[in-house]
Amino acid sequence: MTIEKERIQAVLDRVRPFLQADGGDIELVAVEGRSASVRLTGMCAGCPAAHMTLHDGIEAAIRVEIPEFDTLQVA
Amino acid sequence: MTSQIPGNIVTMESLVVGKSARMKAVFEYLRVIGNSESTVLITGESGTGKEVTATLIHQNSRRRHHPFVAVSCALFTETLIESELFGHERGAFTGAIKDRPGRFEMAEGGTIFLDDIDDVPLGMQVKLLRVLQNRTVERVGGTRTIPINVRVIAGTKRDLRQMVAEGKFREDLYYRLNVLPVALPPLRERPEDIPVLMDHFLRRFFRRKNEDVPPISDAVMQAFARYNWPGNVRELENACERIAQTCACGAIRIGCVSAAILFGAAGQPPRSVPTTAAEVTPIAPVRATLPAPLDDAAPPAVAPPVPTPVFATVPAGMTPSPISLDDRVREFESSLIRWALRVTHGNKSRAAALLQIKRSTLGDRIVRCGLNEAAAETSTEAKAV
Repeated sequence: MTIEKERIQAVLDRVRPFLQADGGDIELVAVEGRSASVRLTGMCAGCPAAHMTLHDGIEAAIRVEIPEFDTLQVA
Repeated sequence: MTSQIPGNIVTMESLVVGKSARMKAVFEYLRVIGNSESTVLITGESGTGKEVTATLIHQNSRRRHHPFVAVSCALFTETLIESELFGHERGAFTGAIKDRPGRFEMAEGGTIFLDDIDDVPLGMQVKLLRVLQNRTVERVGGTRTIPINVRVIAGTKRDLRQMVAEGKFREDLYYRLNVLPVALPPLRERPEDIPVLMDHFLRRFFRRKNEDVPPISDAVMQAFARYNWPGNVRELENACERIAQTCACGAIRIGCVSAAILFGAAGQPPRSVPTTAAEVTPIAPVRATLPAPLDDAAPPAVAPPVPTPVFATVPAGMTPSPISLDDRVREFESSLIRWALRVTHGNKSRAAALLQIKRSTLGDRIVRCGLNEAAAETSTEAKAV
């Protein structure tokens, strides 16, 4: 079973305005089965703390809405 | 003797820096009741500063040269809390190997702060009531009645009146405690204090690192203003500490903010960021890290990562942060030079070749970007290897 891209996109869309206001963005790269990968671009892309924050936060937020979700990769 | 629970303390200044009308009213009231001897009941959600308020009341009272003893009633079981508050005599129970005075006795002449009074079991409430009425304590297992001269301040996170109605709190004890009520407003009800508190905490945590507070982006201010802070001032304090510990790019941007705050704020309508933030460093030249640092072992043949340019639209209700083109270009240049120096182990000729510029040009750019030390370090490291 593959999770629909739109459901993950919807979670990303919730935090996107904040990232965009700060000269950054988050892109959904791929959904494979029950996992997904995203890419952080712009301002915070090089910051390890931002990766950690967004990885944990987005993964947790996706899981709240899609309990069967497996893992998130941040590139 | 002061007894405090580490990590459970909202600092004094943090409470006092509140500039909202609500907090000003609280301070006025505290001044008025300072010299009173009556029992105080402080009601406030977790993290609103109940213990700080109690300390403040004590320090402004005639009892200030006597002990302030704080005890959280939530920490003990019913039997333990009795011995904790009233003390015990040797042999009163297994493990009572010697006489031990209780917290009331330790606070003699001063103030006792009974925090989390709402967690005191009903059976214990009767005993507490008797102590408050008679102003005497009896140690567990003891027969002596010890007179006490202690001012009582109680703290509760729940509405005691509601608990009385539900039969969970004794009405007589409630009235005995609620002589001078102090209500501490939650942070979400005084959003104008958020930037002031942010400024206060960020200054403190960056000072610890011997650094100035970097500029804060509008998106961060917006996220902090929109979030509803269930953990109140303590949560805000922790969020600021986290920023100070993780922010390494010379500007406080949205990536420094914890995801819980980000997602919490995302569900809230936009709020106009209070302009009292004159004390908050305005966003100025942005210094962000661009390409991710490369591994030392990366072969020079690998091209440095070029960040995808983002020309994002700015959503309604948010002001885009100013971004200086010159600064961004310089940052990018500097990160590429650092990359070239790293992968060539500080060999400037090879680094120049890699960047397809003259060796002398590279020298100039290193100076211009303030990379002299970085260059020196890289080459020392290379020699050490």
